[in-house]
Amino acid sequence: MMDELMEILQELRPDVDFENETALITDGVLDSFDIVALVGELNDAFDIEIKPNNLVPDNFNSAAAMLKLIEQLQDD
Amino acid sequence: METSVLNRLDSTASRFAGKVIFRDSESELTFAQFDALTKSIGTALAERLPAGSPVAVMSGRHVTTPACFLGAVRAGCFYAPMDGDMPKARLNQILGVIKTKLMLVDRAHLEIAQSLDFDGETVVMEDILETPVNEELISSRAATLTLTSPLYVIFTSGSTGVPKGVITSHQSLMCYIDSVAKVLSVDSDDVFGNQSPLDYIAAVRDIYLPITFGASTYIIPKNEFAVPTMLFDTLNREKITALCWSVAGVELPAKLGAFDLSKPEYLKKLCFSGSVMPCKYLKIWQEHLPDVLYVNQYGPTEATASCTYYTVTEKVDDDTVLPIGKPYDNYRILLLSEENEAVPEGEIGEICVSGPILALGYYGNHEQTEKSFMQNPLNDNYRELIYKTGDLGSLAPDGNLLFHGRKDRQIKHLGHRIELGEIEETSRKVRGVNDCCSLYNKEKATLYLFYTGEATSKDIVLYFRQNMPAFMVPRKLINLEALPTLPNGKIDMQTLKSYFK
Repeated sequence: MMDELMEILQELRPDVDFENETALITDGVLDSFDIVALVGELNDAFDIEIKPNNLVPDNFNSAAAMLKLIEQLQDD
Repeated sequence: METSVLNRLDSTASRFAGKVIFRDSESELTFAQFDALTKSIGTALAERLPAGSPVAVMSGRHVTTPACFLGAVRAGCFYAPMDGDMPKARLNQILGVIKTKLMLVDRAHLEIAQSLDFDGETVVMEDILETPVNEELISSRAATLTLTSPLYVIFTSGSTGVPKGVITSHQSLMCYIDSVAKVLSVDSDDVFGNQSPLDYIAAVRDIYLPITFGASTYIIPKNEFAVPTMLFDTLNREKITALCWSVAGVELPAKLGAFDLSKPEYLKKLCFSGSVMPCKYLKIWQEHLPDVLYVNQYGPTEATASCTYYTVTEKVDDDTVLPIGKPYDNYRILLLSEENEAVPEGEIGEICVSGPILALGYYGNHEQTEKSFMQNPLNDNYRELIYKTGDLGSLAPDGNLLFHGRKDRQIKHLGHRIELGEIEETSRKVRGVNDCCSLYNKEKATLYLFYTGEATSKDIVLYFRQNMPAFMVPRKLINLEALPTLPNGKIDMQTLKSYFK
């Protein structure tokens, strides 16, 4: 699943080092328009529904955090 | 009669001295403090530059940035704001057009500033904030300003690959500010929530409505727009009453479901512009905030931000198409045919604007200025310039103007104006790109690039990220063996559009 996530992230922003970045939102690496695009892609790819209260920096600051969120939403 | 925006600042600075004019997440300035800062900065600049000079300002989203702008004006100069987050190559292009002798930067942008192709003087804003005010010097500089002096130069996408600097005068800006204030009933109790980058045209409302009417503006941190719950919490904490946002900004919280959790409790007015509002998002705002005044604005930077407005009186539906409405005070609208004749009533023509709100032209570019600002072909009797917007419109029987898209290949994406030709010019500079065509999928708000050649999509995106503003980076790149063509040899864009699905 991490591979699929990485592929989506890389296609969205090939200029970002998603393996090592841990402050994607806090440092403003991803902007609001990236997030809108990303939420749509993740919802489709992983058959989940990311809700507004999931949209907090902690859930999107790193690829690992996003993976955790996806897994959690898939379990619900 | 006023001669410049400084008359307005002088007046509000004394009437509202102790009231806050600008606030950001870290600090705030009262009118008196702001006024004093503009005078200190103005003195420091006037000591270095003659009146009438351009001052490039590269400074972040904080309260001191507008003080730098007005500081330049205090020095009898005009400002050209630059977004330090843009790639170096773009900033160099802007410097190449504006040819300023002085760049005013905040410390956070000093390193970027020093890496640019610039041989003038770089002044760090923090170093001049406490300059002792030389009243005599700055009042002599204020006396050099007239209504038609340039106030600022704002850069926008140019189809040839070089950005165009649109020059706005004091008069144009004041005409616009007064007209929009009338429609929104702005007064000193209003608190604006600034969304627009401060270097962008849309920020003029957030800067000059407070300077004119004693209102306040809160500069919202950029990353809060990625986190809708934070955004609404901020609007409520700051008791924000008025928003002048891009359509893209208004869509965001509705798209991300922010209204499921809370809503802006203090909001009284929301005006939006920049592109066509998809009413499925406006509907969400209206359902949660039925008493807010919603105003749809239309207009190009060349006619000082917006030309026409439409107050939304109806409850919108998903498929409602809002008119762009009626001209603001001091704006006149004509609809011209391809042959430069008035179109018959109700028919579609190119939207042309005249009035004291027309820009002074494109900085250092006579040729483009002459082409875009021309004598009104319907007037043989005296000099009356019009600006041809390239937008198509028609007049509805109720007197409201309706928008019918573009004549050319200019698009509006995420609130920014982009020439698809500039995307193509840029792509051709990437090694391994042979031929290309850029198209916009309006429905999905996605910029496409179709190209031939060996380059990978990563190569192209990386090149864009290094050379162009983020909103101009294509999101979907499709490598083809050959671009489809029509019998006349032109690229077959309809076939390319089938890739949108």
